[in-house]
Amino acid sequence: MTTMHITSDTTNEPAPPTTPAPRKKLRPRESQRSTLLTVLLWLCALYFILPLFWLIVASTKSNADLFSTFGLWFGKTFELWNNLVSVFTVRDGLFLQWVINTVLYAGVSAVIASILATAAGYAFAKYQFPGDKLLFSIILGAIMIPLTALALPTYLLFNTAGLTNTPWAVILPSLVSPFGVYLMRVYAADAISDSLIEAARVDGAGEFRIFWQVGFRLLGPGVVTVFLFALVATWNNYFLPLIMLNSSSLYPLTVGLAQQQAASAAGGGAQALFSTVITGSLVSIVPLIIAFLVLQRYWQAGLTTGGVKE
Amino acid sequence: MKKASKTAAAMAVLAGITGFMITGCSPAGTSPAQSATAMSQEDFDKAMSTPTKLTFWTWLPDVQNEVALFEKKYPQIDVTVENVGQGGEHYQKVRTALQSGDGAPDVIQLEYQYIPSFNLTNSLLNLRPYGADDISGDYVDWAWKQVSNDKGVWAVPQDVGPMGNLYRTDILEKAGITKAPATYEEYAADAKAVKEKTGSYISNLPTNDPAQVIGLLWQAGVKPFSYDGDKTVGINVNSAEAKKVLAYWQDLIQKDLISVDADFNDQYYQGLASDKYAGWLTAAWAPIFLQGTVENTAGKWAAAPLPQWSAGEQVSGNWGGSSDAVLKTTKNPIAAAELAKFINHDEESTKMFATKQFLFPAAKSVLEDSSYTDQKVAFFGGQQVNKLFGQISNTVDTDFQWLPFTEYAYSQFNEIVGTAIGAKGDLNTALDKWQETLVSYAKDQGFTVK
Repeated sequence: MTTMHITSDTTNEPAPPTTPAPRKKLRPRESQRSTLLTVLLWLCALYFILPLFWLIVASTKSNADLFSTFGLWFGKTFELWNNLVSVFTVRDGLFLQWVINTVLYAGVSAVIASILATAAGYAFAKYQFPGDKLLFSIILGAIMIPLTALALPTYLLFNTAGLTNTPWAVILPSLVSPFGVYLMRVYAADAISDSLIEAARVDGAGEFRIFWQVGFRLLGPGVVTVFLFALVATWNNYFLPLIMLNSSSLYPLTVGLAQQQAASAAGGGAQALFSTVITGSLVSIVPLIIAFLVLQRYWQAGLTTGGVKE
Repeated sequence: MKKASKTAAAMAVLAGITGFMITGCSPAGTSPAQSATAMSQEDFDKAMSTPTKLTFWTWLPDVQNEVALFEKKYPQIDVTVENVGQGGEHYQKVRTALQSGDGAPDVIQLEYQYIPSFNLTNSLLNLRPYGADDISGDYVDWAWKQVSNDKGVWAVPQDVGPMGNLYRTDILEKAGITKAPATYEEYAADAKAVKEKTGSYISNLPTNDPAQVIGLLWQAGVKPFSYDGDKTVGINVNSAEAKKVLAYWQDLIQKDLISVDADFNDQYYQGLASDKYAGWLTAAWAPIFLQGTVENTAGKWAAAPLPQWSAGEQVSGNWGGSSDAVLKTTKNPIAAAELAKFINHDEESTKMFATKQFLFPAAKSVLEDSSYTDQKVAFFGGQQVNKLFGQISNTVDTDFQWLPFTEYAYSQFNEIVGTAIGAKGDLNTALDKWQETLVSYAKDQGFTVK
C-alpha cells in the first residue's frame, strides 16, 4: 500500500501542498458519494479492525471468560491488569527479555537494512556500470523467494559458522532487503534529479558525499518506508528465529509467545496461559503501532521540501 | 507430555528433509557395543565431582526448580536448561543437532512413543550400565516397560497419562444418571440419555488426536504396533479387536451421540466451558488442565475409571506422558545419566513435579505418598482425583509398543482415520487403509513387516 502512495506521489507533478482552495473545488464531487462504495469501505475497515478489537477485548478476560463468553464483547470480569501482571511475571519475567530481544533484533536489522537498501537503490538508479541490469534482475528475482524457503539453508550455513543460537543468526539474514532495494531504486530515480547530482559534482563533492549528504536526505520518506518494512518484517519473523535459536532467553516475542501458547495445551505440566499469551500479543504490537504513528509524518512530510527547480 | 499430534503434520512436512538424515546415519556398524559392566562407584564419584557442563532440552515449564536440586547435590555440575519447542519442533531440533554433529544437548525430554524412533537412529545412550536397573522397581511397571527392552534402558519415566473418564455431574444428573458408566454398553445408553435430555454430547472423539484413540485401543488390549529394536516391525492396526473398538465409536458418532471436533483448540475449550461436552475420556493430566482452562465449571466435575469392555474388568490405557533420555553423543555420560535419573527419582524432585508442575507421577514414591493421593480437589467436588488415577495407573496394560516411525503413523492416522471420524464415515475401512499405508511405508523404508 505504502509503495503505491509513494510511487504515485512522486510521479505526480510537484503540486503544492493541499491548500484550502482546491479542497473547496472538490466539494461538489464529495456530495456525489456512492453509498455502495461507502458500505464496502466500512466493511473493509471492519474486516481489519475487528481482529484488533477482539485482541483488546480478549486481553481483559480470564481464561474462563475467554472460553465461555462472547468473543467480541467484554466478559464477566475485567482482568486486564491481572493479565498484564501475569505477562510480565510468568517464568520470572522472561517476557521482558523477549521484548528487549525483539527491539534489538528488529531495530538493528531495520536501521542497517534501510541504509544498505538505500545505498544499493541509489546506485542502481543513478550509476551505470557493467552488469547493473543483470544484478538488478537478480535482486528482483530474490523478491520472489520467500524468506521461509531460505531459512533451512541459512541454518546449515550458520551452523557451519557456529553462529546458531546467537543474536547474529537472526540479525544477519535480516540485513538484506531485496524489496527495499527495488523500492529505493524506483524512488531514487524520481526523487533525485541528475542535474542536482551534476551540480554537486561541479561543486567538487565526492560520490559518497553526494549520496550521503544530498541523496540520502532527499530519499528520507523512502528510507523511512524501507525502515518500517524491515522493522515489521523482523519484528514479526517467526520461522527464522524458531530454527536458529535454542535458548528461551534469546527468543524474540513471536517465538516466545508461541512457546507459551504451546505450553498451554501441553496436557501434562500444562500452564493455562491463554489469557497471558493474548495479553502478551497485545503488548507486543504496541511498539509497532507507536513506530508507525511517529514515523508516518516523515512520509507525509512533503516530498517536495527537497524538490529541485526544474 | 500429552502428545505431539498437532505438530505431527508439521513434522510430516519436515520428514522429507529429515528422511535422508535418519537413513543417513546408518545404525549398522557404527554402534560401539554397550558394555554391560556397571560403572564403578569411583568412576561415578569422579565424574560427579569434576566441573561439568550439561545441556538439557525440555519444554516442561519451571523445570529449573528440579534441576536446582540436582545442582545442589552435585555443585560441580552446571546444567543449562533450554526449551527449543514442544513435541515435533523439539524432536526436529534434536535431530538437526545430531545430524550436524554439533550443539546436541546431553539430556532430552522424550515422549514414550518416540523412543523407538530415536533407537532406530541409535541416538540414545543405554542407561543400563549407568545403574538404571537399580531403580526399575521404583516406577509403575508399564511405564518402565515403555522405556526399556531386553537390549537396554533408554530413558527414565517422568510422567504418565493413564486414562479415565472425567464427566460433568450436573449434566449427567439432568439426564438421570447418578453414577459413572461401568461398561461401554452403559456408556452408549448414557450417551443417548444425555443427548436426548440435555443436548450435550457425553464426550468427543477428536479428528486430530491419534494419541487418544490409541489410548482407547491400548485399553481394549489391542497391540497395533511392535518393534524389535532393529529392522523388524509389526503393524496390526486393523485387527478384529481394533475394528470392534472403532465400530463402537462409529455407531455413536453416526447416531450423533458423540461429537467429532478437533481437540486442543479454542473451539474445543469453548465446548468444554459451555456444556457442549458432558465428559472426556482422557488422561491423568487432564484434571489440572481443566482447572486452568475452564474454571467456570469448577465443582461440577467428577472422575471415574474408563468404561470397560467386559463387566467386572478393570483395565486402562495411557495417553501421553514423557521421559528423559540421554543422547549417545554426550561427552559426560555419567553425569548426564545421573541428571535424568535424579530429577525423576529423587523424592523431593518427583514430589515437586507432581505438586508444582502437576505432572502425573510415574514414580511409586509419589503415588504412595498420602499427602499427594489424599488431596481433595475442589474442582472435582472434593474428590481424591490423584488417588483414583494412581489406582487406574496400576491397571494399564504393560505390553504396549510403538513403531520406530510414530510421526508418520500419527500423521497418516489424522489423514485417513481422523478424516473418516470427521466425515462420520466407515472407520473399519479407514483402519484397513491406515494399515495398508503403514505397511507399504515400512517396506519402503527397508523394514521387515511381521
